[in-house]
Amino acid sequence: MNSLHTYLFIALVLFCIGLFGLLKRRSLIGMLISVELMLNAVGLNFMAFNRFLAPDPAVGQVAVLFIMGIAAAEAAIALSLILALFRKIRSINVEQARQLKG
Amino acid sequence: MAGDLMLFLPEAACLLMALTLFGLSLPKHQDQRRVHSWAMGLSLLMVAAGLAGLFQEGHLFFEAYRVDLFSQFFKLLLAVALLLVLGICRQLTGVEERYQPEFFLFLTTCTLGMMLMVSAVELMTLYVALELSSFSLYILVPLRSGDNIDVEAGVKYLFIGITASCLMLFGMSYIFGAVHSTYLARIADTLPLWIHQPGAVIGLLLTLSGFFFKLAAFPFHFWAPDVYQGAANQVTTYIATASKAAAVALLIRLTALSAGTSLYLLDVLMVLCVASMTLGNLAAMVQSDLKRMLAYSSVAHAGYALMGVLTMTRLGYSSAMFYTLAYMVMNFAAFMVVVKVASQGQDLKISDLAGLHRRAPLLALTLMLALFSLAGIPPTVGFTGKFLVFAAAMRDGHFWLVLVGMINATLSLYYYLMVIKAAYLTEPAEPQESLAITGPTRALNYALIAAMVALGLFPRQVLELTEKAVRNIF
Repeated sequence: MNSLHTYLFIALVLFCIGLFGLLKRRSLIGMLISVELMLNAVGLNFMAFNRFLAPDPAVGQVAVLFIMGIAAAEAAIALSLILALFRKIRSINVEQARQLKG
Repeated sequence: MAGDLMLFLPEAACLLMALTLFGLSLPKHQDQRRVHSWAMGLSLLMVAAGLAGLFQEGHLFFEAYRVDLFSQFFKLLLAVALLLVLGICRQLTGVEERYQPEFFLFLTTCTLGMMLMVSAVELMTLYVALELSSFSLYILVPLRSGDNIDVEAGVKYLFIGITASCLMLFGMSYIFGAVHSTYLARIADTLPLWIHQPGAVIGLLLTLSGFFFKLAAFPFHFWAPDVYQGAANQVTTYIATASKAAAVALLIRLTALSAGTSLYLLDVLMVLCVASMTLGNLAAMVQSDLKRMLAYSSVAHAGYALMGVLTMTRLGYSSAMFYTLAYMVMNFAAFMVVVKVASQGQDLKISDLAGLHRRAPLLALTLMLALFSLAGIPPTVGFTGKFLVFAAAMRDGHFWLVLVGMINATLSLYYYLMVIKAAYLTEPAEPQESLAITGPTRALNYALIAAMVALGLFPRQVLELTEKAVRNIF
Protein backbone atom coordinates (compact mmCIF):
# COMPACT_ATOMS: atom_id res chain seq x y z
CA MET A 1 0.00 0.00 0.00
CA ASN A 2 1.71 3.17 -1.13
CA SER A 3 1.02 6.53 0.41
CA LEU A 4 -1.44 7.69 -2.29
CA HIS A 5 -3.71 4.82 -1.38
CA THR A 6 -3.44 5.73 2.29
CA TYR A 7 -4.69 9.23 1.57
CA LEU A 8 -7.47 8.00 -0.68
CA PHE A 9 -8.55 5.51 1.94
CA ILE A 10 -8.64 8.17 4.66
CA ALA A 11 -10.66 10.45 2.38
CA LEU A 12 -13.11 7.66 1.61
CA VAL A 13 -13.54 6.90 5.31
CA LEU A 14 -14.07 10.58 6.05
CA PHE A 15 -16.64 10.81 3.26
CA CYS A 16 -18.52 7.76 4.51
CA ILE A 17 -18.53 9.09 8.08
CA GLY A 18 -19.99 12.32 6.74
CA LEU A 19 -22.64 10.51 4.70
CA PHE A 20 -23.53 8.30 7.65
CA GLY A 21 -23.80 11.31 9.94
CA LEU A 22 -25.99 13.12 7.44
CA LEU A 23 -28.43 10.24 7.32
CA LYS A 24 -28.29 9.47 11.02
CA ARG A 25 -28.34 12.91 12.65
CA ARG A 26 -31.67 14.56 13.31
CA SER A 27 -30.29 17.92 14.32
CA LEU A 28 -29.71 20.30 11.44
CA ILE A 29 -26.43 21.55 12.90
CA GLY A 30 -25.18 17.97 13.13
CA MET A 31 -26.17 17.45 9.50
CA LEU A 32 -24.31 20.58 8.49
CA ILE A 33 -21.16 19.38 10.25
CA SER A 34 -21.47 16.05 8.42
CA VAL A 35 -21.65 17.87 5.10
CA GLU A 36 -18.48 19.77 6.00
CA LEU A 37 -16.77 16.42 6.67
CA MET A 38 -17.75 15.22 3.22
CA LEU A 39 -16.42 18.38 1.62
CA ASN A 40 -13.13 18.01 3.44
CA ALA A 41 -12.87 14.45 2.20
CA VAL A 42 -13.18 15.80 -1.33
CA GLY A 43 -10.48 18.35 -0.61
CA LEU A 44 -8.17 15.65 0.70
CA ASN A 45 -8.80 13.59 -2.43
CA PHE A 46 -7.93 16.48 -4.70
CA MET A 47 -4.74 17.25 -2.77
CA ALA A 48 -3.62 13.62 -2.74
CA PHE A 49 -4.14 13.17 -6.50
CA ASN A 50 -2.48 16.49 -7.05
CA ARG A 51 0.57 15.65 -4.96
CA PHE A 52 1.20 12.15 -6.31
CA LEU A 53 -0.11 12.11 -9.87
CA ALA A 54 -0.82 15.43 -11.50
CA PRO A 55 1.84 16.98 -13.72
CA ASP A 56 0.72 20.51 -12.91
CA PRO A 57 0.82 20.93 -9.15
CA ALA A 58 -1.43 24.01 -9.07
CA VAL A 59 -4.73 22.58 -10.32
CA GLY A 60 -5.65 20.53 -7.28
CA GLN A 61 -4.74 23.33 -4.90
CA VAL A 62 -6.90 25.79 -6.78
CA ALA A 63 -9.73 23.28 -6.71
CA VAL A 64 -9.41 22.90 -2.95
CA LEU A 65 -9.40 26.67 -2.46
CA PHE A 66 -12.59 26.98 -4.47
CA ILE A 67 -14.23 24.18 -2.52
CA MET A 68 -13.32 25.83 0.77
CA GLY A 69 -14.64 29.20 -0.36
CA ILE A 70 -17.92 27.78 -1.56
CA ALA A 71 -18.27 25.64 1.57
CA ALA A 72 -18.11 28.83 3.62
CA ALA A 73 -20.90 30.42 1.58
CA GLU A 74 -22.90 27.25 1.90
CA ALA A 75 -22.50 27.22 5.68
CA ALA A 76 -23.68 30.83 5.84
CA ILE A 77 -26.83 30.06 3.87
CA ALA A 78 -27.48 26.87 5.81
CA LEU A 79 -27.08 28.60 9.20
CA SER A 80 -29.37 31.46 8.21
CA LEU A 81 -32.03 28.99 7.09
CA ILE A 82 -31.65 27.00 10.29
CA LEU A 83 -32.08 30.22 12.24
CA ALA A 84 -35.20 31.10 10.26
CA LEU A 85 -36.61 27.64 10.92
CA PHE A 86 -35.83 27.94 14.63
CA ARG A 87 -37.70 31.24 14.82
CA LYS A 88 -40.77 29.60 13.35
CA ILE A 89 -40.96 26.19 14.98
CA ARG A 90 -38.64 26.68 17.99
CA SER A 91 -36.60 23.62 17.10
CA ILE A 92 -33.81 22.60 14.75
CA ASN A 93 -34.75 18.96 14.77
CA VAL A 94 -35.79 17.73 11.33
CA GLU A 95 -38.37 15.43 12.93
CA GLN A 96 -40.26 18.54 14.06
CA ALA A 97 -40.42 19.96 10.56
CA ARG A 98 -42.93 17.73 8.90
CA GLN A 99 -45.81 19.72 7.57
CA LEU A 100 -45.04 18.82 4.00
CA LYS A 101 -46.11 15.31 3.20
CA GLY A 102 -47.62 13.19 0.50
CA MET B 1 -11.40 42.46 -26.76
CA ALA B 2 -14.60 43.59 -28.48
CA GLY B 3 -14.90 40.09 -29.93
CA ASP B 4 -14.63 38.59 -26.48
CA LEU B 5 -17.37 40.84 -25.23
CA MET B 6 -19.54 39.68 -28.12
CA LEU B 7 -18.99 36.08 -27.00
CA PHE B 8 -19.93 37.01 -23.47
CA LEU B 9 -22.94 39.12 -24.45
CA PRO B 10 -25.85 37.20 -22.86
CA GLU B 11 -23.95 36.74 -19.60
CA ALA B 12 -22.88 40.38 -19.62
CA ALA B 13 -26.51 41.45 -20.02
CA CYS B 14 -27.46 39.15 -17.16
CA LEU B 15 -24.69 40.53 -14.98
CA LEU B 16 -25.78 44.07 -15.75
CA MET B 17 -29.32 43.14 -14.78
CA ALA B 18 -28.14 41.58 -11.53
CA LEU B 19 -26.09 44.65 -10.62
CA THR B 20 -28.96 47.02 -11.41
CA LEU B 21 -31.36 44.99 -9.32
CA PHE B 22 -28.84 44.88 -6.52
CA GLY B 23 -28.70 48.68 -6.61
CA LEU B 24 -32.49 48.82 -6.55
CA SER B 25 -32.65 46.49 -3.57
CA LEU B 26 -30.54 48.82 -1.38
CA PRO B 27 -33.02 51.60 -0.46
CA LYS B 28 -35.30 50.73 2.40
CA HIS B 29 -38.56 51.46 0.64
CA GLN B 30 -38.85 50.64 -2.96
CA ASP B 31 -41.81 50.79 -5.23
CA GLN B 32 -42.44 47.24 -6.35
CA ARG B 33 -43.90 48.32 -9.68
CA ARG B 34 -40.73 50.24 -10.50
CA VAL B 35 -38.44 47.32 -9.67
CA HIS B 36 -40.61 45.02 -11.74
CA SER B 37 -40.51 47.38 -14.72
CA TRP B 38 -36.73 47.58 -14.50
CA ALA B 39 -36.49 43.80 -14.28
CA MET B 40 -38.78 43.33 -17.28
CA GLY B 41 -36.88 45.86 -19.37
CA LEU B 42 -33.49 44.40 -18.56
CA SER B 43 -34.62 40.88 -19.14
CA LEU B 44 -35.97 41.87 -22.56
CA LEU B 45 -32.49 43.22 -23.21
CA MET B 46 -31.10 39.88 -22.11
CA VAL B 47 -33.29 37.97 -24.56
CA ALA B 48 -32.09 40.35 -27.28
CA ALA B 49 -28.50 39.67 -26.23
CA GLY B 50 -29.21 35.96 -26.28
CA LEU B 51 -30.54 36.23 -29.84
CA ALA B 52 -27.60 38.36 -30.94
CA GLY B 53 -25.15 35.90 -29.48
CA LEU B 54 -26.86 32.79 -30.81
CA PHE B 55 -24.37 31.97 -33.53
CA GLN B 56 -21.20 33.04 -31.76
CA GLU B 57 -18.39 30.56 -31.35
CA GLY B 58 -15.18 30.65 -29.40
CA HIS B 59 -13.37 30.08 -26.15
CA LEU B 60 -12.89 32.32 -23.14
CA PHE B 61 -11.05 32.29 -19.82
CA PHE B 62 -8.12 30.00 -20.65
CA GLU B 63 -10.33 27.54 -22.56
CA ALA B 64 -12.43 26.90 -19.44
CA TYR B 65 -15.46 28.45 -21.08
CA ARG B 66 -16.79 27.43 -24.44
CA VAL B 67 -19.28 29.36 -26.48
CA ASP B 68 -20.98 27.35 -29.22
CA LEU B 69 -24.43 26.87 -30.65
CA PHE B 70 -25.20 24.26 -28.00
CA SER B 71 -24.51 26.61 -25.11
CA GLN B 72 -26.05 29.63 -26.83
CA PHE B 73 -29.25 27.71 -27.54
CA PHE B 74 -29.66 26.94 -23.87
CA LYS B 75 -28.72 30.49 -22.88
CA LEU B 76 -31.47 31.84 -25.10
CA LEU B 77 -33.86 29.33 -23.56
CA LEU B 78 -32.87 30.46 -20.06
CA ALA B 79 -33.24 34.13 -20.93
CA VAL B 80 -36.71 33.50 -22.35
CA ALA B 81 -37.64 31.47 -19.28
CA LEU B 82 -36.58 34.31 -17.00
CA LEU B 83 -38.55 36.81 -19.06
CA LEU B 84 -41.66 34.63 -18.93
CA VAL B 85 -41.37 34.08 -15.19
CA LEU B 86 -40.88 37.80 -14.60
CA GLY B 87 -43.93 38.35 -16.78
CA ILE B 88 -46.14 36.63 -14.22
CA CYS B 89 -44.56 38.44 -11.26
CA ARG B 90 -46.46 41.71 -11.60
CA GLN B 91 -48.62 40.91 -8.59
CA LEU B 92 -46.19 39.19 -6.29
CA THR B 93 -48.68 38.21 -3.65
CA GLY B 94 -46.66 35.24 -2.50
CA VAL B 95 -43.61 37.23 -1.41
CA GLU B 96 -43.38 39.87 1.29
CA GLU B 97 -43.24 43.40 -0.03
CA ARG B 98 -39.85 44.30 1.41
CA TYR B 99 -38.13 41.23 -0.01
CA GLN B 100 -39.37 41.73 -3.54
CA PRO B 101 -36.28 43.49 -4.96
CA GLU B 102 -34.17 40.64 -3.58
CA PHE B 103 -36.57 38.18 -5.13
CA PHE B 104 -35.86 39.61 -8.59
CA LEU B 105 -32.13 39.84 -7.81
CA PHE B 106 -31.81 36.17 -6.89
CA LEU B 107 -33.85 35.06 -9.90
CA THR B 108 -31.30 36.91 -12.03
CA THR B 109 -28.21 35.53 -10.29
CA CYS B 110 -29.68 32.07 -10.61
CA THR B 111 -30.10 32.57 -14.34
CA LEU B 112 -26.55 33.91 -14.53
CA GLY B 113 -25.27 30.79 -12.77
CA MET B 114 -27.09 28.52 -15.18
CA MET B 115 -25.88 30.48 -18.19
CA LEU B 116 -22.30 30.09 -16.99
CA MET B 117 -22.98 26.43 -16.32
CA VAL B 118 -24.08 25.53 -19.86
CA SER B 119 -20.90 27.06 -21.26
CA ALA B 120 -18.46 25.67 -18.70
CA VAL B 121 -16.11 22.99 -20.03
CA GLU B 122 -13.91 22.75 -16.96
CA LEU B 123 -14.93 20.95 -13.79
CA MET B 124 -14.24 23.76 -11.31
CA THR B 125 -15.99 26.35 -13.47
CA LEU B 126 -18.90 23.97 -13.71
CA TYR B 127 -19.01 23.53 -9.96
CA VAL B 128 -18.86 27.24 -9.15
CA ALA B 129 -21.55 28.03 -11.74
CA LEU B 130 -23.78 25.24 -10.44
CA GLU B 131 -23.48 26.50 -6.89
CA LEU B 132 -24.20 30.07 -7.93
CA SER B 133 -27.52 28.93 -9.34
CA SER B 134 -28.29 26.51 -6.50
CA PHE B 135 -27.50 28.99 -3.72
CA SER B 136 -29.79 31.58 -5.29
CA LEU B 137 -32.60 29.03 -5.32
CA TYR B 138 -31.93 27.99 -1.71
CA ILE B 139 -32.64 31.60 -0.75
CA LEU B 140 -35.59 32.06 -3.11
CA VAL B 141 -37.55 29.09 -1.77
CA PRO B 142 -37.99 30.36 1.82
CA LEU B 143 -38.82 33.94 0.71
CA ARG B 144 -42.52 33.15 0.67
CA SER B 145 -44.70 35.04 3.09
CA GLY B 146 -47.24 33.45 5.37
CA ASP B 147 -47.07 30.06 7.05
CA ASN B 148 -43.81 28.29 7.79
CA ILE B 149 -43.87 25.53 5.20
CA ASP B 150 -41.60 27.67 3.02
CA VAL B 151 -38.66 27.51 5.45
CA GLU B 152 -39.17 23.80 5.89
CA ALA B 153 -39.12 23.34 2.13
CA GLY B 154 -36.04 25.55 1.93
CA VAL B 155 -34.17 23.51 4.53
CA LYS B 156 -35.04 20.25 2.78
CA TYR B 157 -33.99 21.65 -0.58
CA LEU B 158 -30.73 22.94 0.86
CA PHE B 159 -29.71 19.71 2.54
CA ILE B 160 -30.58 17.44 -0.37
CA GLY B 161 -28.84 19.92 -2.65
CA ILE B 162 -25.60 20.11 -0.73
CA THR B 163 -25.53 16.34 -0.37
CA ALA B 164 -25.86 16.00 -4.12
CA SER B 165 -23.13 18.56 -4.70
CA CYS B 166 -20.83 16.74 -2.22
CA LEU B 167 -21.35 13.51 -4.16
CA MET B 168 -20.69 15.38 -7.37
CA LEU B 169 -17.44 16.84 -6.04
CA PHE B 170 -16.32 13.45 -4.80
CA GLY B 171 -16.91 12.09 -8.28
CA MET B 172 -15.01 14.98 -9.81
CA SER B 173 -12.05 14.26 -7.56
CA TYR B 174 -11.87 10.69 -8.91
CA ILE B 175 -12.06 11.95 -12.47
CA PHE B 176 -9.26 14.36 -11.65
CA GLY B 177 -7.30 11.43 -10.27
CA ALA B 178 -7.81 9.39 -13.44
CA VAL B 179 -7.17 12.16 -15.96
CA HIS B 180 -4.97 14.60 -13.97
CA SER B 181 -6.85 17.46 -15.53
CA THR B 182 -10.13 19.22 -15.00
CA TYR B 183 -10.76 20.14 -18.63
CA LEU B 184 -13.59 18.23 -20.28
CA ALA B 185 -11.77 18.17 -23.63
CA ARG B 186 -8.79 16.49 -22.01
CA ILE B 187 -11.09 14.06 -20.18
CA ALA B 188 -12.70 13.08 -23.49
CA ASP B 189 -9.27 12.61 -25.14
CA THR B 190 -7.90 10.26 -22.52
CA LEU B 191 -11.19 8.48 -22.04
CA PRO B 192 -10.35 5.14 -23.73
CA LEU B 193 -7.53 4.74 -21.19
CA TRP B 194 -9.69 4.95 -18.10
CA ILE B 195 -13.30 4.22 -18.98
CA HIS B 196 -12.90 0.60 -17.96
CA GLN B 197 -11.56 1.37 -14.52
CA PRO B 198 -14.41 1.01 -12.03
CA GLY B 199 -13.21 4.01 -10.00
CA ALA B 200 -13.46 6.33 -12.97
CA VAL B 201 -16.94 5.16 -13.95
CA ILE B 202 -18.07 5.67 -10.36
CA GLY B 203 -16.50 9.10 -10.55
CA LEU B 204 -18.43 9.99 -13.69
CA LEU B 205 -21.69 8.69 -12.24
CA LEU B 206 -21.24 10.61 -9.00
CA THR B 207 -20.48 13.72 -11.03
CA LEU B 208 -23.75 13.26 -12.87
CA SER B 209 -25.63 13.05 -9.57
CA GLY B 210 -25.34 16.81 -9.07
CA PHE B 211 -27.36 17.25 -12.24
CA PHE B 212 -29.81 14.47 -11.43
CA PHE B 213 -30.59 16.58 -8.40
CA LYS B 214 -31.24 19.65 -10.54
CA LEU B 215 -33.39 17.62 -12.88
CA ALA B 216 -35.22 15.95 -9.96
CA ALA B 217 -34.51 12.51 -11.38
CA PHE B 218 -34.56 9.39 -9.21
CA PRO B 219 -32.84 9.02 -6.65
CA PHE B 220 -32.56 12.77 -6.04
CA HIS B 221 -36.23 13.58 -6.53
CA PHE B 222 -37.30 13.80 -2.87
CA TRP B 223 -37.08 17.53 -2.76
CA ALA B 224 -39.35 18.18 -5.73
CA PRO B 225 -42.83 17.79 -4.20
CA ASP B 226 -41.97 19.60 -0.97
CA VAL B 227 -40.18 22.46 -2.66
CA TYR B 228 -42.83 22.85 -5.36
CA GLN B 229 -45.49 23.08 -2.68
CA GLY B 230 -43.52 25.16 -0.20
CA ALA B 231 -42.04 27.78 -2.51
CA ALA B 232 -43.98 30.76 -3.82
CA ASN B 233 -45.83 29.89 -7.04
CA GLN B 234 -43.58 32.08 -9.18
CA VAL B 235 -40.43 30.49 -7.76
CA THR B 236 -41.87 27.05 -8.40
CA THR B 237 -42.52 28.07 -11.98
CA TYR B 238 -38.91 29.09 -12.35
CA ILE B 239 -37.56 25.91 -10.77
CA ALA B 240 -39.83 23.80 -12.94
CA THR B 241 -38.77 25.41 -16.20
CA ALA B 242 -35.36 27.11 -16.34
CA SER B 243 -33.57 24.94 -13.83
CA LYS B 244 -34.61 21.76 -15.70
CA ALA B 245 -33.28 23.07 -19.00
CA ALA B 246 -29.82 23.74 -17.56
CA ALA B 247 -29.70 20.29 -15.98
CA VAL B 248 -30.47 18.55 -19.28
CA ALA B 249 -27.76 20.62 -21.00
CA LEU B 250 -25.14 19.47 -18.52
CA LEU B 251 -26.25 15.85 -18.58
CA ILE B 252 -25.84 15.92 -22.35
CA ARG B 253 -22.40 17.51 -22.12
CA LEU B 254 -21.14 15.07 -19.50
CA THR B 255 -22.56 11.86 -20.93
CA ALA B 256 -21.22 12.86 -24.35
CA LEU B 257 -17.75 12.49 -22.84
CA SER B 258 -18.07 8.74 -22.72
CA ALA B 259 -19.57 8.62 -26.25
CA GLY B 260 -21.47 5.44 -25.50
CA THR B 261 -18.40 3.33 -24.79
CA SER B 262 -19.31 2.49 -21.22
CA LEU B 263 -21.96 -0.14 -20.70
CA TYR B 264 -22.09 0.41 -16.94
CA LEU B 265 -23.02 4.01 -17.44
CA LEU B 266 -25.74 3.04 -19.90
CA ASP B 267 -27.17 0.44 -17.53
CA VAL B 268 -27.29 2.85 -14.62
CA LEU B 269 -28.90 5.57 -16.72
CA MET B 270 -31.52 3.11 -17.93
CA VAL B 271 -32.39 2.11 -14.38
CA LEU B 272 -32.69 5.75 -13.34
CA CYS B 273 -34.81 6.55 -16.38
CA VAL B 274 -37.29 3.73 -15.70
CA ALA B 275 -37.39 4.45 -11.97
CA SER B 276 -38.00 8.19 -12.50
CA MET B 277 -40.81 7.63 -14.98
CA THR B 278 -42.61 4.94 -13.02
CA LEU B 279 -42.18 6.43 -9.58
CA GLY B 280 -43.13 9.92 -10.69
CA ASN B 281 -46.29 8.80 -12.47
CA LEU B 282 -47.47 6.48 -9.72
CA ALA B 283 -46.92 9.06 -7.00
CA ALA B 284 -48.59 11.81 -9.01
CA MET B 285 -51.85 9.86 -9.16
CA VAL B 286 -52.62 10.15 -5.47
CA GLN B 287 -51.86 13.86 -5.04
CA SER B 288 -54.55 16.35 -4.16
CA ASP B 289 -52.34 19.46 -4.23
CA LEU B 290 -51.91 20.68 -7.78
CA LYS B 291 -48.29 21.78 -7.38
CA ARG B 292 -47.31 18.48 -5.74
CA MET B 293 -48.91 16.63 -8.62
CA LEU B 294 -46.98 18.74 -11.11
CA ALA B 295 -43.82 18.04 -9.09
CA TYR B 296 -44.23 14.29 -9.41
CA SER B 297 -45.10 14.70 -13.06
CA SER B 298 -41.82 16.62 -13.45
CA VAL B 299 -39.99 13.60 -11.97
CA ALA B 300 -41.64 11.48 -14.67
CA HIS B 301 -40.67 13.97 -17.35
CA ALA B 302 -37.08 13.88 -16.11
CA GLY B 303 -37.25 10.18 -16.96
CA TYR B 304 -38.45 10.88 -20.52
CA ALA B 305 -35.67 13.42 -21.02
CA LEU B 306 -33.13 10.90 -19.70
CA MET B 307 -34.32 8.44 -22.32
CA GLY B 308 -33.09 10.78 -25.02
CA VAL B 309 -29.85 11.45 -23.17
CA LEU B 310 -28.95 7.83 -22.54
CA THR B 311 -28.93 6.88 -26.22
CA MET B 312 -25.75 9.03 -26.41
CA THR B 313 -26.28 9.54 -30.10
CA ARG B 314 -26.68 12.83 -31.94
CA LEU B 315 -30.28 12.01 -32.66
CA GLY B 316 -30.99 11.23 -29.02
CA TYR B 317 -29.33 14.40 -27.79
CA SER B 318 -31.08 16.64 -30.25
CA SER B 319 -34.43 15.10 -29.40
CA ALA B 320 -33.67 15.54 -25.69
CA MET B 321 -32.96 19.21 -26.38
CA PHE B 322 -36.24 19.54 -28.22
CA TYR B 323 -38.00 17.78 -25.39
CA THR B 324 -36.51 20.25 -22.93
CA LEU B 325 -37.85 23.14 -24.96
CA ALA B 326 -41.24 21.46 -25.19
CA TYR B 327 -41.29 20.75 -21.49
CA MET B 328 -40.41 24.33 -20.71
CA VAL B 329 -43.26 25.73 -22.80
CA MET B 330 -45.97 23.36 -21.61
CA ASN B 331 -44.92 23.36 -17.98
CA PHE B 332 -44.74 27.14 -17.96
CA ALA B 333 -48.26 27.28 -19.38
CA ALA B 334 -49.56 24.99 -16.63
CA PHE B 335 -47.84 26.97 -13.89
CA MET B 336 -48.94 30.27 -15.34
CA VAL B 337 -52.52 29.14 -14.83
CA VAL B 338 -51.68 28.11 -11.25
CA VAL B 339 -50.21 31.55 -10.54
CA LYS B 340 -53.19 33.35 -12.06
CA VAL B 341 -55.85 31.23 -10.35
CA ALA B 342 -54.10 31.44 -6.96
CA SER B 343 -54.45 35.21 -6.94
CA GLN B 344 -53.60 35.46 -3.23
CA GLY B 345 -50.45 33.39 -3.69
CA GLN B 346 -51.98 30.40 -1.90
CA ASP B 347 -51.50 26.71 -2.67
CA LEU B 348 -54.07 25.22 -4.99
CA LYS B 349 -55.84 21.96 -4.45
CA ILE B 350 -56.97 20.23 -7.62
CA SER B 351 -60.55 20.62 -6.39
CA ASP B 352 -60.06 24.41 -6.21
CA LEU B 353 -60.08 24.44 -9.99
CA ALA B 354 -63.77 23.52 -10.04
CA GLY B 355 -65.71 25.66 -12.44
CA LEU B 356 -62.61 27.28 -13.90
CA HIS B 357 -64.06 27.07 -17.41
CA ARG B 358 -66.70 29.56 -16.33
CA ARG B 359 -64.53 31.75 -14.11
CA ALA B 360 -61.80 32.15 -16.72
CA PRO B 361 -62.41 30.32 -20.00
CA LEU B 362 -59.08 31.33 -21.49
CA LEU B 363 -57.07 30.08 -18.52
CA ALA B 364 -59.02 26.83 -18.56
CA LEU B 365 -58.25 26.40 -22.25
CA THR B 366 -54.53 27.04 -21.70
CA LEU B 367 -54.50 24.62 -18.79
CA MET B 368 -56.23 21.94 -20.83
CA LEU B 369 -53.83 22.31 -23.72
CA ALA B 370 -50.81 22.34 -21.40
CA LEU B 371 -51.95 19.18 -19.64
CA PHE B 372 -52.76 17.42 -22.93
CA SER B 373 -49.30 18.41 -24.04
CA LEU B 374 -47.71 17.09 -20.84
CA ALA B 375 -49.60 13.84 -21.36
CA GLY B 376 -48.36 13.68 -24.94
CA ILE B 377 -51.52 14.01 -27.02
CA PRO B 378 -51.21 15.26 -30.60
CA PRO B 379 -51.09 17.87 -32.08
CA THR B 380 -49.30 19.48 -29.14
CA VAL B 381 -45.60 20.02 -28.63
CA GLY B 382 -45.52 17.43 -25.86
CA PHE B 383 -46.53 14.72 -28.32
CA THR B 384 -43.85 15.71 -30.81
CA GLY B 385 -41.21 15.83 -28.08
CA LYS B 386 -42.13 12.42 -26.71
CA PHE B 387 -42.34 10.96 -30.19
CA LEU B 388 -38.85 12.19 -31.06
CA VAL B 389 -37.34 10.90 -27.82
CA PHE B 390 -39.01 7.51 -28.13
CA ALA B 391 -38.02 7.25 -31.78
CA ALA B 392 -34.39 8.02 -30.95
CA ALA B 393 -34.38 5.39 -28.20
CA MET B 394 -36.04 2.88 -30.54
CA ARG B 395 -33.44 3.42 -33.25
CA ASP B 396 -30.77 2.74 -30.67
CA GLY B 397 -32.43 -0.60 -29.87
CA HIS B 398 -33.99 0.15 -26.48
CA PHE B 399 -37.32 -1.49 -27.23
CA TRP B 400 -38.17 -2.30 -23.60
CA LEU B 401 -37.36 1.17 -22.46
CA VAL B 402 -39.72 2.65 -25.03
CA LEU B 403 -42.42 0.18 -24.02
CA VAL B 404 -42.10 1.22 -20.36
CA GLY B 405 -42.19 4.83 -21.49
CA MET B 406 -45.39 4.24 -23.45
CA ILE B 407 -47.08 2.53 -20.52
CA ASN B 408 -46.04 5.43 -18.33
CA ALA B 409 -47.38 8.00 -20.76
CA THR B 410 -50.73 6.21 -20.62
CA LEU B 411 -50.65 6.14 -16.83
CA SER B 412 -49.94 9.84 -16.71
CA LEU B 413 -53.04 10.55 -18.77
CA TYR B 414 -55.14 9.54 -15.76
CA TYR B 415 -54.03 12.29 -13.41
CA TYR B 416 -53.84 14.98 -16.08
CA LEU B 417 -57.41 14.17 -17.05
CA MET B 418 -58.46 14.40 -13.40
CA VAL B 419 -57.32 18.01 -13.39
CA ILE B 420 -59.07 18.76 -16.66
CA LYS B 421 -62.19 17.12 -15.26
CA ALA B 422 -62.00 19.38 -12.20
CA ALA B 423 -61.60 22.45 -14.38
CA TYR B 424 -64.29 21.65 -16.93
CA LEU B 425 -66.89 19.28 -15.50
CA THR B 426 -67.01 19.76 -11.74
CA GLU B 427 -69.18 22.56 -10.44
CA PRO B 428 -67.87 24.49 -7.44
CA ALA B 429 -69.63 23.97 -4.08
CA GLU B 430 -70.34 27.68 -3.80
CA PRO B 431 -70.42 30.03 -6.77
CA GLN B 432 -67.16 31.93 -7.23
CA GLU B 433 -66.65 35.20 -9.00
CA SER B 434 -64.89 35.12 -12.32
CA LEU B 435 -61.19 35.94 -12.53
CA ALA B 436 -60.16 39.21 -14.04
CA ILE B 437 -57.66 38.73 -16.85
CA THR B 438 -55.61 41.71 -17.93
CA GLY B 439 -54.57 42.44 -21.51
CA PRO B 440 -50.95 41.26 -21.18
CA THR B 441 -52.08 38.01 -19.55
CA ARG B 442 -54.50 37.43 -22.39
CA ALA B 443 -51.69 37.98 -24.91
CA LEU B 444 -49.41 35.63 -22.97
CA ASN B 445 -52.12 32.97 -23.01
CA TYR B 446 -52.62 33.26 -26.76
CA ALA B 447 -48.86 33.17 -27.30
CA LEU B 448 -48.46 30.03 -25.20
CA ILE B 449 -51.35 28.27 -26.92
CA ALA B 450 -49.90 29.22 -30.30
CA ALA B 451 -46.43 28.05 -29.27
CA MET B 452 -47.68 24.70 -27.98
CA VAL B 453 -49.58 23.94 -31.18
CA ALA B 454 -47.13 25.48 -33.65
CA LEU B 455 -44.08 23.74 -32.20
CA GLY B 456 -46.05 20.52 -32.17
CA LEU B 457 -47.04 20.73 -35.81
CA PHE B 458 -43.93 22.33 -37.27
CA PRO B 459 -40.91 21.28 -35.22
CA ARG B 460 -38.57 21.26 -38.22
CA GLN B 461 -36.86 24.62 -37.76
CA VAL B 462 -36.12 24.04 -34.11
CA LEU B 463 -34.99 20.49 -34.79
CA GLU B 464 -32.53 21.66 -37.41
CA LEU B 465 -31.15 24.09 -34.87
CA THR B 466 -30.79 21.44 -32.15
CA GLU B 467 -29.18 18.99 -34.57
CA LYS B 468 -26.65 21.62 -35.55
CA ALA B 469 -26.05 22.44 -31.89
CA VAL B 470 -25.40 18.83 -30.96
CA ARG B 471 -22.68 18.56 -33.60
CA ASN B 472 -20.60 20.90 -31.46
CA ILE B 473 -20.34 18.67 -28.44
CA PHE B 474 -18.82 15.56 -29.98
